[in-house]
Amino acid sequence: MTGRDRMVLIVVVVLVLLGAGWLLVVSPERHKANGLNSKVSGAQSQLSTAQAALASAQAAKAQYPKAYASVVTLGKAVPAEQEVPSLIYQLEQASNSRSVDFNSIVSGGGSATASSSTSGAAASAKLAGFTQMPFTFVFSGGFFSLEHLFGGLTKFTAHTTSGGLEVSGRLLTIQSVKLAPENAGPAGTVKGPQRLSGTITATAYVLPPSQGLTGGASESAPGGSPSPAAAQSPSSPTAPAIAKVTP
Amino acid sequence: MRAVNLIPTEQRGGQHVGAGRSGGAAYAFLALLAGIALLAVLYGKAHRDISGREAKAATLTAEAQRAQSEASALAPYTSFAALRVQREQAVETLVDSRFDWAHAFHELGRVLTAQTAVSSLTGQIAPAGPATSAAAPTPASPSPTAAAAAASSVSSATPPGSVPVFTLSGCAKSQRAVAQMLVRLRLMDGVSAVALQSSSKGAGGSGASSGGACPASFPSFTVGVTYAALPSAAAAAAATKPGAENVSSAGGKAG
Repeated sequence: MTGRDRMVLIVVVVLVLLGAGWLLVVSPERHKANGLNSKVSGAQSQLSTAQAALASAQAAKAQYPKAYASVVTLGKAVPAEQEVPSLIYQLEQASNSRSVDFNSIVSGGGSATASSSTSGAAASAKLAGFTQMPFTFVFSGGFFSLEHLFGGLTKFTAHTTSGGLEVSGRLLTIQSVKLAPENAGPAGTVKGPQRLSGTITATAYVLPPSQGLTGGASESAPGGSPSPAAAQSPSSPTAPAIAKVTP
Repeated sequence: MRAVNLIPTEQRGGQHVGAGRSGGAAYAFLALLAGIALLAVLYGKAHRDISGREAKAATLTAEAQRAQSEASALAPYTSFAALRVQREQAVETLVDSRFDWAHAFHELGRVLTAQTAVSSLTGQIAPAGPATSAAAPTPASPSPTAAAAAASSVSSATPPGSVPVFTLSGCAKSQRAVAQMLVRLRLMDGVSAVALQSSSKGAGGSGASSGGACPASFPSFTVGVTYAALPSAAAAAAATKPGAENVSSAGGKAG
């Protein structure tokens, strides 16, 4: 073996040693270090998500009094129970202020027309998580008084001009209206405003029994964890409310 | 003559001048040491990176867990806020899907003249699709939203696509007054079709069944008024509210 051969052999051996050191020791460590970048990124992402959830929860806590007031107010539109006395009171008040007589209220759809229409309403109430309560109201008054009354019934729960909801009473969806003269006589021969009998088929809504008005929350703090999903649970048919008013 | 190499044997070709007696092994050893030192530096740096990143990941994870636990403690508030939003949306959907009966009657009172007297008026929200009432005329061109709404799920007692239909019966002073009434009924907001079902003198007709017959010289008429199908709640909401979302109580204003 010449000197040159020895030198080449030595260089090769040195390179092999250094390469082995790189491959076996340094490179795995560097690979591990790079792999930790993804772990750090994942942790950073997890932290961001958690911080966002925390911020949302803190905002929800800060807004709780307002949210509680809103839910309670919405309870006037869609109460947790049938609240028929309250409905009668509201109808009586609305009709009195418009010189209309509130003659009767009967639970359930009064006519075939109403029932065919409310078959879709059952599904809708289910979808919204609300149970429907069909009613038939009979009022008597002048045409324009009844017109104003219809507007009043609608405005129990209505949009404000700013787009918010204003709730002053029960949410009612009128499905049919029938107007007919109260006193018989040749049409077109009656002088002056004629009193009409207005029969209205309308639907009120009730929260499903699985939900309380506030989901167990109190004014100071939420009592439990009312799941919004519970609001979507299928609602069972309401036992018919029975209320008749004889003026 | 034979050539004689005068160079000493140990200094002949193949051997570098600087190799020295070790034959270059010393340089190779130094290079090896330098390489090992470089590898050690790189290893140390990588190891330090690993330690630092692991510590950072642990810190971030701990912070995330703390934030999650705090958020979990506030979960009832979050759930209540979700409940509120869900209730508001449900109520708004129902509010937006209603037909404006008061406005319809207001318009009706505006367009009817003294030449006509309505003795019976029936209005109803027909289910989506073709009008089902025998007294109600079928719209000449059914609204495309009606079919779409019929296929989709409903969200109100008066679901989108439902068609409000009015049926008017009464007396007019002349057939010309009936014609005028038909024209004026078309002027009402949202009316898509007005169809005369009958107008006849001396029949007594529907007027008799609902409050009294017409005088012999007055024609008795029955007219069907069909409104445009109710829009979807989203469309109605977009048309009615600019975007604010709050609930206000108007206690004491009922009625």
